[in-house]
Amino acid sequence: MTRTTLTINGRRAQFDTEPRQSLADAIRNELGLTGTHLGCEHGVCGACTILLDGEAVRSCLMLAVQAEGASITTIEGVSLPHAGLTELQTAFRARHALQCGFCTPGMVLALHALFTNNPVADEDAIREAISGNLCRCTGYQPIVEAALDVSRANQDRLSQKT
Amino acid sequence: MKPAPFDYVAPKTIEDAIAHLNRHGSDARFLAGGQSLMPMLALRLARPTLVIDLNRIETLSHIRMQGGELCIGAMTRQGAVLDSNLVAQHAPLLQRVLREVGHPPTRARGTIGGSLAHADPAAELPVAALALQARFVIRSSAGERIVAADDFFQGMFETAIQPGELLTEIRIPSAATAGSGFEEIALRKGDFAIVSAAAWLAIAKDGTCTSARVVLGSVGPTPVRCPATEAHLIGKPVNAVAISAAAEAIPETLIESDSLNASRAYRRRIAPVLTRRALTAALKDAGKAAP
Amino acid sequence: MTIGARALRLEDERFLRGEGRYVADLKLPFAYEAVIVRSAHPHARMTFVSLEAAKSLDGVIDIVTAADLPAGLTAIPCRIPCHGDMAPFLQHVLARDVVRYVGDPIAVVIATSRAIAEDAAELIDITWEPLPPVPDSVAALNPDSQKLHPAGNIASQWTFDIGNVDAEIATAAAVVRDTFSIQRHSAMPLETRGLLAHYDRARHSLEVFGPTKVPHTNRALLATMLKMPEGSIRFIEPDVGGSFGARGEFYPEDFLIPWVALRIGKPIRWIEDRYEHFSAINHSREMRFEVVAAANAAGMITAFDVRLVSDLGAYIRTHGDVVPSHASASFPGPYRIRNYRVHAIAALSNKTPSGTLRAPGMFEANFARERAVDLLADKLNIDRAEFRRRNLIPPADLPWAVGTESVKRPTIFDSGDFPAVLERALSEFGWDKPLPKSEGPIKRGRGLAVLVEPSGLGPFEGARIEVDQHGNVQVFSGCSSQGQGHETSLAQVASAVLTIPIERITVRHGDTGLIPFGGGSYASRTAVMSGHAVYAAALTVKEKAIRTVAQKLEVAEHDLQLIDGRIELLGAKEMGMTLGSVARLLLPGNPELMPPPPVANIVDNDGLTSTSYIRAVPGGTSVFAVHLADVAVDEETGKIRVERYLVACDVGTAINPMIVEGQIVGGVVMGLGGTLLEELAYDQQGVLLTGTFADYLLPSVHDAPPITAIVIEKEKSPTNPLGIKGVGEVGPSGVAAAVGNAVAHALGAGARLSTLPLTPERILFARTPGAA
Repeated sequence: MTRTTLTINGRRAQFDTEPRQSLADAIRNELGLTGTHLGCEHGVCGACTILLDGEAVRSCLMLAVQAEGASITTIEGVSLPHAGLTELQTAFRARHALQCGFCTPGMVLALHALFTNNPVADEDAIREAISGNLCRCTGYQPIVEAALDVSRANQDRLSQKT
Repeated sequence: MKPAPFDYVAPKTIEDAIAHLNRHGSDARFLAGGQSLMPMLALRLARPTLVIDLNRIETLSHIRMQGGELCIGAMTRQGAVLDSNLVAQHAPLLQRVLREVGHPPTRARGTIGGSLAHADPAAELPVAALALQARFVIRSSAGERIVAADDFFQGMFETAIQPGELLTEIRIPSAATAGSGFEEIALRKGDFAIVSAAAWLAIAKDGTCTSARVVLGSVGPTPVRCPATEAHLIGKPVNAVAISAAAEAIPETLIESDSLNASRAYRRRIAPVLTRRALTAALKDAGKAAP
Repeated sequence: MTIGARALRLEDERFLRGEGRYVADLKLPFAYEAVIVRSAHPHARMTFVSLEAAKSLDGVIDIVTAADLPAGLTAIPCRIPCHGDMAPFLQHVLARDVVRYVGDPIAVVIATSRAIAEDAAELIDITWEPLPPVPDSVAALNPDSQKLHPAGNIASQWTFDIGNVDAEIATAAAVVRDTFSIQRHSAMPLETRGLLAHYDRARHSLEVFGPTKVPHTNRALLATMLKMPEGSIRFIEPDVGGSFGARGEFYPEDFLIPWVALRIGKPIRWIEDRYEHFSAINHSREMRFEVVAAANAAGMITAFDVRLVSDLGAYIRTHGDVVPSHASASFPGPYRIRNYRVHAIAALSNKTPSGTLRAPGMFEANFARERAVDLLADKLNIDRAEFRRRNLIPPADLPWAVGTESVKRPTIFDSGDFPAVLERALSEFGWDKPLPKSEGPIKRGRGLAVLVEPSGLGPFEGARIEVDQHGNVQVFSGCSSQGQGHETSLAQVASAVLTIPIERITVRHGDTGLIPFGGGSYASRTAVMSGHAVYAAALTVKEKAIRTVAQKLEVAEHDLQLIDGRIELLGAKEMGMTLGSVARLLLPGNPELMPPPPVANIVDNDGLTSTSYIRAVPGGTSVFAVHLADVAVDEETGKIRVERYLVACDVGTAINPMIVEGQIVGGVVMGLGGTLLEELAYDQQGVLLTGTFADYLLPSVHDAPPITAIVIEKEKSPTNPLGIKGVGEVGPSGVAAAVGNAVAHALGAGARLSTLPLTPERILFARTPGAA
């Protein structure tokens, strides 16, 4: 067992883990944050996407012990339980960009990472950002539309400032 | 899909990493970005008893120019290479290729060295490394040696890296005036290629090709250069007709792979097409690069 | 919010916050983890040598094999046999002596963690004697092949023979023949299956979390197999990450996990991993059609003659032969065909057993028929849309009985205006507009497919509605949900009747503890059937409320109306009561309306509640749909890009058009997966080659074209009071057909596109027979 300390959704957390436990399993089993989903456990589906020091990564492709000292954001850290949804989450709802909800946390996090770096991402950039996140329900179109809504809103705000 | 048990160390220096490897021998595996090794662990296709994590070794992660070469640390993330201005200037082919490698979240963790050392026959980075004539810096407790690209890829998932050795850096000779191109067919964007083709052309002011490298990927156990195609171009003016002829000069025997997602016959049909397109792109790129 | 509104979904917020609760998110104290040990051999005789090493590993609780199963345990029965006795081919929950596919369950390991259970599974010592495999349906039908079961390799075969097919073919102006093959693929919901079972010995109560699709049906089955009272078992559906027909059937694990929980007396959790999912979940779609199609000089299709061979894998599961049955029954599609013959065979092989996948049999049949129809149109030199126009069933001929049956029900298309939908689709898409110019090796093509998708099947459905004293409404439905949005759409139905906003309506489903009977969710039935049941229950609640207020206010019922959740006197709005007040009045035992009785046993009001069960029309209701696709094909590499896509359909009534469009758009991309990418590949020994998402390819966002869904609400279904037609399967149903036709159009005359998936290789070699 290895003691691992990290920051998760802004809070410090500690747990003991076998080296073989993936970061995704630790987030779910040791930290109780089940919004990080496991669709394949071999790094293809993207359901387990988290933000590791601000960057979207697959948490099933990291060992929990590797996250020592890291700062992690999961879907539970995107909007506080009693606060409103983020603009992106609201756009997902408005565009019917989710059905079963299983891929949704990964999609939301991948797009949040994109908009942090590129608030006015165009459709190509949006598609590339979620190209590693599989969705079996929506056909992707409404997800892309939701992201474009956010991008346009960011663009409007930027142009108002200047 | 949980890995078999293993021990874990995260050394902070190259020397420590190699010392762990020497102590543990063939039961130890280096963990780089984890984008290939982690699925293999989960599927229990890889069963090391010790995982040596390279992610804490800061000296393995850098992009810099040194002695006319672009030096990229083995643990440099693919995403960092894709975003680097130095790479854009000195080895744009690497960036062209990386756009076809996985997706942003895999490139955020996946490393240059990890992919090259893994030597998947369908991977794109080895194709680029061969086309760029990269040199591979390999360390062991005995010191450092440098392996040329032509000698590095030795078989399916096999490279010149020997037991007790660690790939530390890739060095790419800068050729800012050369042109390059890359084409592939994959079933989905971001997947490994069914066939990929990289072309690298140095064109003199009079339009004559002074140097050419054409590499095919996913056609055999390792990426392969196509000397017959290259010979068609070197010393001659390069134009569409010459490129077509050069692409058609690929010997069929160079293309052996026959797999679930594509037959050998299909690969043989599309290899010349992709080669022609890669060469065309390289010629155009060289035109842009020319002063 | 009422019927027809684009209401935002009530379930979205929890999913967006990561607060959905899927089965793997549920925990019970002291639970153990189970791992199913599966055969790695396609066909072999098997003997357990020793379990000792595995059992002695730290953390291992128990290991069970077939030898431990209850005496007299039956095989898992077939839920819907269509064309014969399926009993000789059924699957037992654990293989005994002989395994018949890679993935066949042979043991269950129970341990303190999943990782330890996997460690132990590797230590089980087994000897294997390989038997000759039956790798595919060709081998299955060869009389010299190994027999998979004592009863042979054919589960069932049947014929429909309508009209005079031979005479029509003999005298036809044009005849085309081709063989169309659809590859084995599967639903691949993004969430794998899983179960959490807990047995309370003292109370003889078994709770199972994780069932979906048909919880009541499966509970009855489990009760029978465990010899327990149905009332002692509760199935509880958590949030579910997709089904698409495959998830929620009664699989071996659906017996094994509850049974192990009983045996051990501790909660048992089994979360399927993706690798095992590939070999364990129902496969589907593997089918071959040998088609002869004939037409006369006027461009009227005169006959279809079809031989259909379906490869159902190693055993017959709960779906039996329903997939080839549907395909055989509905093959003629929306055309006015009076000469149709099909001989269908349900063959078995050493592969994972099969079941339904969204648009079962229809995706397959539509591909074969619509390709053949294009070939006929081309042969007669008639525009492909015009050819279909001439042959569609006219509105006056509806309802149309095909003359076939499936699931022992006649195949009937109940209503619609097929030509009107076709014209609308053609004009919206611009069928007659020129394609974008071909550039260099990029050739463009346009494809069309028309189809009828059955929906709303299944014998009955139920709903219970309860209104509380504050006017909040609970709807209990016998349906289940795997992501479709039933919590919202059923709330909309209740809201339309009760005039209460959907935010105050909670829909609860998939729980056998909350409603005694339920049909479940399959065959695009929930809007049709559960919608109808909720509607009926809501009407009864409304009537009860009006009756109560009439009694209370001493006015006539017809002078009252329900507006905004309040029953008011016409012309005197201030005279009225909210539904909450009515509910309070009707509280059991409340003396206000019913004074305490002089004697006991007076029936109470049962609150402001109602339970309604509704029965189905046997043939269900069907949706006519048109699919249109523009594709770009690189003729040098065979690489294809779908550039735009359109589906038009008449759904009768859309409870929530946003959800309907979502079903269609998402369904199209699923269909594109089956058309271009997805294949469960086996080698000639019967070994499954695709075990990860790196080799079984789902469409990514880069594969999704712009899709337009035209939802028409004109021709109401006469089968239910809301006029609804189910739309869940319209999306994938015609994709292979439309895209196949578009690629053929791009490649020009002589291209043969008859085998799915349409890989770059198949497309490149479509004009050079034999090269692939």
